[in-house]
Amino acid sequence: MSPEASQLTPTTSDAAEPKAGAAAVPIVLLVLPVLILYWGMIYFDRNSGWFSPQVYAPYHSVAELTLYQPPTGGLDLARGKAVYETICALCHNNDGMGKPNQAPAFVGSEWVLGSPNRMIRIPLVGLAGPVKVKDQEWNLAMPNMGAALSDDDLAAVLTYIRQSWGNKASIITPAQVSAVRKEIGNRTQPWSASELQAIP
Amino acid sequence: MNYGPLLFLAAFFALASSWCGLVLAPQLQVGQLQQTNTLSGGATYPLGRPGEAQQGLQVYRANGCASCHSQQVRQSRTVCDVVLTEAGTNQAALIPALLTLKCGTVPTEAEQHAAATAKGKPPARIQDFSEPEARELLAHLPQPVRQGLTREEANADVKALTAAGAKALIWIVPIGPDISRVWGLRRTVAEDFLFDYPVMPGSQRIGPDLANVGLRLPDANWHLRHLYAPRLYEKGSTMPPYCFLFEKRKIETEPSPEALTLPPELAPEPGYEIVPKQAAKALAAYLTSLRADASLFVAPLVAASAATGTTTNAPVASEPGSTNPVPANPPPK
Repeated sequence: MSPEASQLTPTTSDAAEPKAGAAAVPIVLLVLPVLILYWGMIYFDRNSGWFSPQVYAPYHSVAELTLYQPPTGGLDLARGKAVYETICALCHNNDGMGKPNQAPAFVGSEWVLGSPNRMIRIPLVGLAGPVKVKDQEWNLAMPNMGAALSDDDLAAVLTYIRQSWGNKASIITPAQVSAVRKEIGNRTQPWSASELQAIP
Repeated sequence: MNYGPLLFLAAFFALASSWCGLVLAPQLQVGQLQQTNTLSGGATYPLGRPGEAQQGLQVYRANGCASCHSQQVRQSRTVCDVVLTEAGTNQAALIPALLTLKCGTVPTEAEQHAAATAKGKPPARIQDFSEPEARELLAHLPQPVRQGLTREEANADVKALTAAGAKALIWIVPIGPDISRVWGLRRTVAEDFLFDYPVMPGSQRIGPDLANVGLRLPDANWHLRHLYAPRLYEKGSTMPPYCFLFEKRKIETEPSPEALTLPPELAPEPGYEIVPKQAAKALAAYLTSLRADASLFVAPLVAASAATGTTTNAPVASEPGSTNPVPANPPPK
């Protein structure tokens, strides 16, 4: 078509102009945002933890986190391990093998695997002077730990020592520790090995 | 500009909302974070890093370690294990109780976890077991009897075992891909970085995660040798050697105690020694100080290492005189 011809096309009538009329929005476009919004709310509800600084994934809420706290009370090897590694391990080493010229080993030691009453007394007021452990003569001083450790802590750590690194001996309860503590009363003098041998 | 104020408001709200989401909300969440107590033992956590390790943090930053190493352990779930600690006296009731513990479907991750924690040891009981096996198990307590449970299932099992006169514990075991790789015991939380400035959690894992490298590799000398020559330990390691953190010195009167012990092909000519500079020593101190394994309220766990120590440790008679048997694990690839 030539330019002249296109100019000749009639543009006179306003009524012929196309106009946008009202048209129905496809129903999908209404339903989809609602579904997305619904999914978003559920996702938010499950994963936000309500912005609590204590809730990290994979937990969803403080209530769920509380459910997964380790049980309290009773004897806890983890607690014994923690006490052991902060206090005892400095000299006796993390693996219970002791350190030369510092402290004898716990592993397979007759003092550890033997009578609980004897073992509880050692950390309570300490042990000084010559002592024979696994056929080896030691002559050192074990400090007094009784004041620093509660009955629960002491029972937990002694149980940990008696049941770790291949040791298999009975557990020690806080009640046993508190009974021994009462028995020895105000004594602060460390034990000697012969005194302890006399204890059943 | 008919719409000047409108454009200004739109830009203002767009920027303000992202600022609120990215800066204000995290600040309100963890800006006031304090030291907390660990769940077992109640020790204060975290303790600040020792001075040399704090210098090492800046060396870590300056050398761009964080661009290849992350310090974030991921955790996908938490499960409970039921551990029988004491059989009690009533075996006639206990063995049926053990046999009736229903075995749930054990997730593969838990199996990986069991394999990772009990290296080379007999696999933990995750299948139904027979009566002779149950008797065998009672002879070697404490033993995990069921793994990979929810807390409710674990509580029910403990109740059943307690009713039969035995004593049982529940271990809280985080599991996830990084935990299976022995990169950590639990997920990383904000507390782990409390005293670090800047915090460098990293974003890429060209090298292994370092959140617990001080736990895996506690020997500073190992780190020094590894920084000097990474391929000494890992043949295909892509880590660049950080030789410039070391100096070659002529041995004047007697060798320095700090000098690296190197294999012949890397050792300097006789009469010389390789000594770490202060930066290398600080970096090694920082790396050995990296351990985020404390059991916290926000990330509970019951130490699996204590658990394996009590259940599966080999008799020590086989390794006499080993005063420091902490294994220097090869870095996971």
